[in-house]
Amino acid sequence: MASSQHVLLSPAELAYLHASLSLIPPIRPDGRSPTQFRPLVAETGILPGTNGSARICFADGTEAIVGVKAEVERTALRPGEDTIYLEEGGLEGGDDGEEGSSEDKRKGDASWVEMTVEIPGLRDDDSGTAFLSAMLSEALLADGEFARRLWINRRFHWKLYLDIILISPPLSYPLPLLSLTTHLALLSTRLPRLKSEGDEDPFFDDDWAAAPYLFPRSSETSAHTTTSTTSTSTRPPITLLVMAVANNIIFDPSKEELAVADAALAVSVTSTSSHTTTADADPIRQAQAQEQEEKEGRNLRLLSIRTIDPPSRLTPPGVANAANAAYGASLGASGQQPQQQQQKSTAVVPVMASETEAVEGVWRPPRGGAKRAVLGALVQKVLEGGGVVDEVLDALEGVDLG
Amino acid sequence: MPLDTSTYNLALLRVDGRRWNELRRVHAQIRTQAAADGSSYLEMGHTKVMCVVTGPTEPGPRRGGAAAGGAGGGGVGSGGAGGKAEIVVGIVIAGFSSVDRKRYGRGDKRTLELASTVSNALAASLHTNLFPHSQINISLHVLSQDGSLLAALINAATLACVDAGIPMTDYVAACTAGSTSTYAANDEGADPLLDLNHQEEQELPGLTVATLGNSDRVAVLVCESRVQISRLEGMLAVGVDGCKQMREILDRVVREKGVRMIQEGTVEKGVGLGDIDMD
Repeated sequence: MASSQHVLLSPAELAYLHASLSLIPPIRPDGRSPTQFRPLVAETGILPGTNGSARICFADGTEAIVGVKAEVERTALRPGEDTIYLEEGGLEGGDDGEEGSSEDKRKGDASWVEMTVEIPGLRDDDSGTAFLSAMLSEALLADGEFARRLWINRRFHWKLYLDIILISPPLSYPLPLLSLTTHLALLSTRLPRLKSEGDEDPFFDDDWAAAPYLFPRSSETSAHTTTSTTSTSTRPPITLLVMAVANNIIFDPSKEELAVADAALAVSVTSTSSHTTTADADPIRQAQAQEQEEKEGRNLRLLSIRTIDPPSRLTPPGVANAANAAYGASLGASGQQPQQQQQKSTAVVPVMASETEAVEGVWRPPRGGAKRAVLGALVQKVLEGGGVVDEVLDALEGVDLG
Repeated sequence: MPLDTSTYNLALLRVDGRRWNELRRVHAQIRTQAAADGSSYLEMGHTKVMCVVTGPTEPGPRRGGAAAGGAGGGGVGSGGAGGKAEIVVGIVIAGFSSVDRKRYGRGDKRTLELASTVSNALAASLHTNLFPHSQINISLHVLSQDGSLLAALINAATLACVDAGIPMTDYVAACTAGSTSTYAANDEGADPLLDLNHQEEQELPGLTVATLGNSDRVAVLVCESRVQISRLEGMLAVGVDGCKQMREILDRVVREKGVRMIQEGTVEKGVGLGDIDMD
C-alpha cells in the first residue's frame, strides 16, 4: 500500500495535530511517548507446516502473519568456480581438514531468498506493495550475511520463501508491523540438521527436534562454544519507521501522525554477533571488546535507509483568514491591507504572503526534500545505544519461540 | 503417493485413524481481530482459515477492472444491483499453506471459483436486502490446507458474518463427504466417509455440501470428482448429517463468546438471555 493513503483530516485538524506533535515533549494523539511503540501481541510457531512462522497483532487491530518455507535447491555453478570445484573438492568429499576452509568459502546469493507481500484489497503488483517487499528484502540481504546462512555445500543451498500476509485492512502504514513479524518468523525458523558431509547430495536428519535454528539462540551458542559466551548472536534485521515533525523525532507513527510528517524514514538495523571478537587473535583486545559489548548490550549496525514519501505532501493546505475572501480579504493586488497584515512594514501583497509564508495555526503541507541534518538526526536516534531498537529487540527476544 | 484404501475394510479405520462418520478436530474462534467489523479463525484438522469481514459499507471506488477487495485470489461479488448489498469475497491462499510451497497467482481460476461459491452461499442466508447500495467485504486467508478447503471457508465466513452482526436467516454450515473406494473400483458396497482430508480428497470421490442451519435445505453442493450415481445418495446423507454437527460446533463457539462478552461487560445482558448458563 502506498504511504500516501488518503487521510480524512481537514486542514484545521492537520494543523492542530502538527502543532501538538511539535511541542516539546510532543503530545501524541494516543498518549504515547515519542519513542514508544504501539503495544502488540505476538506469537510464533503457529503453523506446523512451515519452517518458521509468526503472527503479530498491534493494538490498533492490524495483524500480520509471516510463514517461512525452505526448499533445497541446486546451486548454479559459475564457470570460474567450476574449475576450483573439480580440482580440490570433487574427489575428497567430506574431509574434516577441508571443513574449515569450506566454511570460509560459504557465499550466498540474493536470489536464494524470495519475499512476497500480500495486502488485502491491493493488487500484488501495486507500487506500494512492491516498495514494501523491496524494503524488507533489501534489509535482509544488505550485508550478505543472511544469504550465507542458506549455504549447504558447494552444490546445494536452501531456497527460502518468505510469505508476508497482512490480515487486517491496512489501517496504518504497515512497514513496522510486517518487519517485526518477519523478524520473529525468521527467529523461529529451523532448518533440518544436515547429516551428509562435504559436497555430497544433502541428506538431512528427520528428527525435527534436532533441527537447528537459522538464527541460533544465544543460550545455545554459549553451550556449544566456549569463546562466544557473552555474544548476543546475530539477529534478523528490523526496519523501523521514524518520522520528524519540527524538532521532534517520533517512532512508529500512526496513520494520522504520518499525515503531518515533515520527513519519514524507514531505517533497517541489525544487532551483530561477536563474530569479530571470537576471530580476534589477541586475547586482551578480545576481552576488551567483550567487555565493551557487555556494557553496550549489543552492537547495532545500520543496514539500509529509505525515505518514505509522507502523505502530508498530498494534504490540502489551509487558507489563512488573511487570504480568505469570506473573511474580507481583498483579492486585488493593490487593495487596502487587511487587519492582520498591518503590523508588517513591508508592502507584501497579502494573498501572496499567505501562500508562501507560514501562518500560525494554518496547515501548510511540507514542501521540498528533508534536510540533511534532520535525516542525520533521525538515523542517529535509531542507532543510539540503549534506545528504541534495544527496547524492541529485547521485547521480541521475550517472545517464546514455539 | 497413492492412498492405500485396501486397509479400510480390515479395521474400518481411515488413514488418520478416524471412523467413517467422524469429523476432524474443529477449533474455531470469533472476534479474533479488533480492527475488523467481524472476524473469525477456523481449524478443521490441519486446514486453517482466517476470515475478516468489513461492512456493510458504502461501496468504494472501483480501481481499474479489478473488483474491490480483489486481493491475491481476486474478488468475486454477487448481488449488488440496486436494492441489495453486494457480497465481495476475496480469497488469499498463502504460499506456505500447502506442503510444497506454491505461489497462488491472482485470478487463479480455482480460487475465483471458491470465492464465487462462498459469495453465493452467503447471499442465500444474509439479509442483503436490508442494506441497499452497500457492500460487504469478506476477505478469507488460507493459512494451511489439508482438504475440505471450501467447507472451511464457508464455515469461517459464516462465523465472521455472525461476529459482524449482519442479519442472517441461519448458519451456513458446510462439510465434505466421500466414499471409501475410488470411482474406478466401482464398488457398490463402498461406505460413505465424512470430512475428507487432503490425502483422501486426492484419491477418493468427494463432495462439499452446505446446509442452512438445522434444516435439510442444501445451500451448496459441489462435486468435482467422478462418482457412481448410486453412491451419491449415501454420501449426501452423510454430508448433510456432518453439516448438522458442524452447525452445533459453530453455534457453541458463538454462544461461548457471547457469554464471555457478557461476563466481561463488553455487552449488556439483554432480555431473553436468562436461559444462558453463566458459569
